[in-house]
Amino acid sequence: MSIKYSRRNILRAGLATSGAALLTALPASRLFAQEPEKPSEIIVRAWGGEWVESLKKGVSDRFTEMTGIAVRHDLTEDNEIQPKVWAAVAQNRVPPIHINWDTTTNATKSALRGVTEDISDLTNLANTTELAKPVGLDGYPMVNTYGYVYVLAYRPDAFPDGPPKSWRDLLDPKFKGRIALYNDGIGFHFPAQVAGGGSLEDIPDNMDACWDFVREMKEQNPLLGEDPDFTTWFQNGEIDAACTISTNALAAKKNGVELAWTVPEEGCKFDTDCLWIPKGLPENELYWAKQYINLALSQESQQIWLDGLGLPGVIEGLTPPAGLAGDPSYPTEPEDFEHLIRVSSAVQVQNESDWFAKFKEIMQG
Amino acid sequence: MPQIPSTDDPQTTFRYPLRWRIMDALNYGLDRFWPARMSPYTGWALIMPALLLVGILVLGLFEMADSSLHTLDRAIFRPSEAYTLENYQAVMESATYGRVVMRSVFAAGLTVFFTLLLALPYAYIMVRTTRSAVRKALLVTLFLPFFIGQVVRAYGLLIILGTNGVANNALGLVGIEPIRLLFNFPAVVFGLVQYMLPFAVLMLAPALTAIPRETETAASSLGANWLQSFRHIVLPMAKPGLIGAGLVVGTLSLTDFAMPAMLGGGSQDFIANAIYDQFFRTADQGLGAALALLLVVLGSVIVGVVIALFGAGTLGMGSKK
Repeated sequence: MSIKYSRRNILRAGLATSGAALLTALPASRLFAQEPEKPSEIIVRAWGGEWVESLKKGVSDRFTEMTGIAVRHDLTEDNEIQPKVWAAVAQNRVPPIHINWDTTTNATKSALRGVTEDISDLTNLANTTELAKPVGLDGYPMVNTYGYVYVLAYRPDAFPDGPPKSWRDLLDPKFKGRIALYNDGIGFHFPAQVAGGGSLEDIPDNMDACWDFVREMKEQNPLLGEDPDFTTWFQNGEIDAACTISTNALAAKKNGVELAWTVPEEGCKFDTDCLWIPKGLPENELYWAKQYINLALSQESQQIWLDGLGLPGVIEGLTPPAGLAGDPSYPTEPEDFEHLIRVSSAVQVQNESDWFAKFKEIMQG
Repeated sequence: MPQIPSTDDPQTTFRYPLRWRIMDALNYGLDRFWPARMSPYTGWALIMPALLLVGILVLGLFEMADSSLHTLDRAIFRPSEAYTLENYQAVMESATYGRVVMRSVFAAGLTVFFTLLLALPYAYIMVRTTRSAVRKALLVTLFLPFFIGQVVRAYGLLIILGTNGVANNALGLVGIEPIRLLFNFPAVVFGLVQYMLPFAVLMLAPALTAIPRETETAASSLGANWLQSFRHIVLPMAKPGLIGAGLVVGTLSLTDFAMPAMLGGGSQDFIANAIYDQFFRTADQGLGAALALLLVVLGSVIVGVVIALFGAGTLGMGSKK
């Protein structure tokens, strides 16, 4: 048998050899599992301001860079998107978003309603801490992506004797009309239970102490608002102190407002936010939505995303952002959690409406 | 006798103007689409789009009525199967909703009063002035806010009335310490009056135009001064406009959401804010629907009472009362 060494045959042999080399070098999944068709964009619901900027920088831009799929951020409020998603799933329509960035309590409601996709097959879940796992639910209908603290943020010049040590310090008459709380009282109920002389063990059965303290606080005529309000109010000099997520205080500080925050002796509420995918997406879009969340759980994305938010993530070994190492709003070690109050999502989901209603009843009086 | 041009005669060919031909074509098309034998139903056809719109609204109300009869099952966050009046009972027994309803009605009443108080002289000057420049200036000032939405206007007030805002800066010039002008009940009413003023002026202006100027002239020739003439001639004759404007301003204020949300500082909720909370904050659509229907009933009863007592004003479209 004679072999002809033509230029064409040599090229063919070269291609075949390099092809074989590629087969051995790359993971099988990359070669044989054909990636589903890429959508032109995926839509991620997000909170505005500092929140969405951090997500964009840490996850969305990297996702687009890696896949070529554009990411659109839908800034509809989490509470407002919820009924829209629920209605879409109930009517077998394609939901208006691919991924919902949500509070874990709200997401748990959606999971209980059965509108969330299971995402327990994400490869990066293997690297996450216990914080990532939703409590009291089967599998992963959502994945927690970081924790946050409802700190007592304050203007240092309003507290010349040093940081407030107790939530009761806010009852000083000089703070009348100069305090802000969330308009449903979220973040304030649990520390109020302690500040009112009650016990955390009594939650949710007996929260009289909480409501007594809320009544005392009502006499201070507090402003009630949402996340963006706190930043604005601090910037405009409307308030001296607020019970708010540390990220909002950090945002105001970045915008030049002289601001500090603390965890008073009664403690602060610690909670988590999460990502989840609504049911009803086409198969290929579901695949890419999962890839987005998978990327959000990678070390690099968590580091960049949470540097922006100033919050502790769910991956081991993240470096705290400048100035936040050891900060009470950035708990990482078990002892950091000693003054933080964490109540299970199940208890919150079942009782939140009643707490909101009671808080409103007092504040609307 | 003029000769009728014949189309057979090329010397006297007459070409219809383009506009006539278009009108003929439209007439022909209309005749094909809606033949003359259908003319008894023309009125119904014209009113059909409005009926469809109202029909959709009524369907929505039926849906909400159905929704209001189911409580939220918090184990699965879906409405329970059983029909119940528990949502209505919850509203009736709640001190919060009682306060919110009273606040909404009181604020709507105050808004009507202050808006009409400001709108009447504004509309009167706009209608009666003999100087075209003044009328134009008043019209421009009136229409300008229409180009700006309610939310933007409320933000404008936040800037002006804030602790470091223009108003407090002005007070600072005369040595007055900054005071809290925002986030209270008066701020909400102020915002509503500012928002409603153009609506009221627009509703009052036609009613004032319809008052013959000669009537006022006659009154003054009989010895009435301007104030007497305004009180005894203009006010009674402007009553239809005042009632129409009052009804529009009152119902819009009663159902307002943005002003209490933005200027109330979270503690001055109206019924619409309470409905929003139930739909979007606690996901309890049944309770939200019950509140929404109660708002519809409350608004309808108030409007019904006003119409029964004073007539529908300019909204009555000339019907006798």
